[in-house]
Amino acid sequence: MATAIAMKNVVKTFGSTRALDGLDLEVATGEVHGYLGPNGAGKSVTIRTLLGLLRPDSGEVRLLDGDPWLDAVELHRRIAYVPGDVSLWSNLTGGEIIDYFARLRGDVDTRKRDELIEQFELDPRKKSRTYSKGNRQKVALVTALASSAELLILDEPTSGLDPLMETIFQDRVLEAAREGRTVLLSSHILGEVERLCDRVSLIRAGRVVRTGALADLRSSTSTSVTVSTERRIEGLAEIAGVGTLTRDETRLSVDVDGHALDEALSLIASFGITSLSSQPPTLTELFLREFETEPDKAGDEL
Amino acid sequence: MSAITAERTVARRLGRFTGTRNLLRFAVRRDRLRAPLWFVGVVGVFTATAGSVVALYKTPDQLASYATLAVDNPAVQALTGPGYGLDDPTQGSVVLNEMGMFTFIAIALLALVTVIRHTRAEEETDRAELVRAAPVGRHASLAAASLWTAALTTVVSLGLTVSMLTSGLDPAGSWAFGLACAGVGFVFIGVANVAAQIASEARAAIAASGAVLAVMFVVRALGDVSGNWLVWLSPLGWAQGIRAYADERWWVLVPLLVTGGALTIVALVLSRRRDLGAGILQQRPGPAEASPRLRSPLMLALRLQRTSIIGWAAGLGIVWVFMGVVAKQADTLLENQAVADVIGGSGAASPSDSFLATIVLMAGLVAAGFTISAVLRLRSEEVAGRAEPTLANAVSRRTWALSHLAVSSAGTVLVLVSAGLTAGIGYAIGVGDAAEVLPLVGAVLAMSVAVLVLGAFAFALFGLAPRWASLAWVGVALGGVVALLGATLDLPQWIRNFSPFEHVPALPAEPFNAVPLLVLAAVAGVLVWIGVRGFGRRDIN
Repeated sequence: MATAIAMKNVVKTFGSTRALDGLDLEVATGEVHGYLGPNGAGKSVTIRTLLGLLRPDSGEVRLLDGDPWLDAVELHRRIAYVPGDVSLWSNLTGGEIIDYFARLRGDVDTRKRDELIEQFELDPRKKSRTYSKGNRQKVALVTALASSAELLILDEPTSGLDPLMETIFQDRVLEAAREGRTVLLSSHILGEVERLCDRVSLIRAGRVVRTGALADLRSSTSTSVTVSTERRIEGLAEIAGVGTLTRDETRLSVDVDGHALDEALSLIASFGITSLSSQPPTLTELFLREFETEPDKAGDEL
Repeated sequence: MSAITAERTVARRLGRFTGTRNLLRFAVRRDRLRAPLWFVGVVGVFTATAGSVVALYKTPDQLASYATLAVDNPAVQALTGPGYGLDDPTQGSVVLNEMGMFTFIAIALLALVTVIRHTRAEEETDRAELVRAAPVGRHASLAAASLWTAALTTVVSLGLTVSMLTSGLDPAGSWAFGLACAGVGFVFIGVANVAAQIASEARAAIAASGAVLAVMFVVRALGDVSGNWLVWLSPLGWAQGIRAYADERWWVLVPLLVTGGALTIVALVLSRRRDLGAGILQQRPGPAEASPRLRSPLMLALRLQRTSIIGWAAGLGIVWVFMGVVAKQADTLLENQAVADVIGGSGAASPSDSFLATIVLMAGLVAAGFTISAVLRLRSEEVAGRAEPTLANAVSRRTWALSHLAVSSAGTVLVLVSAGLTAGIGYAIGVGDAAEVLPLVGAVLAMSVAVLVLGAFAFALFGLAPRWASLAWVGVALGGVVALLGATLDLPQWIRNFSPFEHVPALPAEPFNAVPLLVLAAVAGVLVWIGVRGFGRRDIN
């Protein structure tokens, strides 16, 4: 599969801060890639490097088979970008700004633009000074989604949007994905990432600490199982990957790692299941597990 | 029951000022660098000039020779005032005739820039919301800004008094001038406060209060030239009316303080009629689609700078038409070194030509203010994060930066041509000869080359050392000091050579010479090249 974004061992420092500390990131063409990490981990620095706004100190950055620093203008014709914090010219209207950006890229689709403006319920006649944060965000979203760019780079694009607008945004991103476009989505809204993304990368302290398909990442985390059986379950704790058991008279609760699920459930079944509920690991748990520990410990785990 | 209500009303009213003390401390902290710079700038230039005047004019004869020139000379009156005390000149009255009006203007600028920085400019950011959400009253930021600015202008004014006292000038006059300066400061604190309530953007508030200052200057100048009551319509007229070193009239401090206080109260009342972040002037809805012309960074830069270009061109045009009218009077000037220093002409030229050359130079200095602020928009666009989406689009850095520079440069030329054209028309009307118009337009065009060098300097700083971009103002300040005070201060030539204005032939007092203009243009070209290279290699903020 072709790669849309390839970053290898990229380092970017600001004074004594290492914002990117040997970062590796790969995004395949046509996938929706989630980019997750705590505040200050280096997500925006990564994106600004990909846009050629920052010059990496070392490492290799390829974007759509070009060099984002040297081929900025040509690459940007094929990219649409939504920043997390949208700042607009206060005395221009939202409509004017959307048109301006579309014309800079040279691809103007007024039908799509109008449709998006209506869907997002944006008043394009208002001076942008009077827009709320959510409305400023909509201006950037309409600009990006109305374009025919083959790569969408979205840096926390839904901050400030209400849940209804968020859903519209998600539908639009899925539509873009169906059209074969590539999306890099940096987000804190884990539900959004779960719904949209094929693969995710987790970044921490300037390095990607985990990357892979969501399903794979899930299997490395535990599922919590609560079960009632006819007979008392014995021998479950001996299976590798099974966590601490909590029992009361009839029920047993346990966290089971993905790879141990099959063995554990077979064993449980042999004791005669009367009721069973299980909860798959959420991205939130994944996120918390990955990032709750100290950074240096996380390094050890690698 | 009613006592409780009354108590609550009082508590509420006082509550509007809650937090003023903390905001005041915060304002002092934010200005910990600016405030000393203002002090050193204003008091330093004043002290240096006063010192050299005191050294230059010692004997009654020397003083009398200065006075013969300045008295009854409309050109001098227009620029510096009626020359109180020059009928029996002392060192003090000569110093003030040289520096008094410029110092009033400097203090007024200090007051309005500082007030707006801490009120409207703050409100434009998201910070104001955080502050107001804290237990901070509605009037606290206005009160803190006013108190802080009043303190700052008072300290600078006292510095001026101390400076004059140490130069050995008469104590009563020194105190009178210092207090008049503080009074001017108070008036413009009030003006800026009102402007900050009406306008919804800091830039507009500064422009509006600056326009008030310009109008006040012109009204006073017209009054002084024609010797009539118009002077009393202008706070600058009141301030000079204290007659420092010339039988002081202390009571003029009363209208200055009352006006400043009254305007600030008006601002307080206005602030209760509007929402946080909004101005009194309401926004109208705009077009839902961009005009077909808005399709390049150049057109956007033009759109963003349009209002300010028109404003500056109109403002200079209004003031300079009057300068042109006054120029005719300059022919009454005699040959006197001191006035020649003020006017900056060479011995050979006619006084009116020297005066015209001076107003061309002053137009250049004022236009440089526009140029620097226009070029530095690049930096403010970058810092505000508005450069990013454009540069993340199919626009090269070079195109984006040069677009803004091109609009700034064209705007500079336009602003200067407006000044030259109107001054030329004013002068032509004065002497009754339409042929006088074009030479002045030529003169401002030559002058524009020097101004563009300063713009290119700002551009180079933006490209190479963006954090230090505002140091570009130092170039303008140096140009101003060299041009207006270079002779009085007896600055060495190598320092003067740093000012691009120094190299422009002083048209129409001197003959035209293309060589220095070409050299200046080349310097500007190199600076622009440096700026483009630097910007192409650095990180975007």
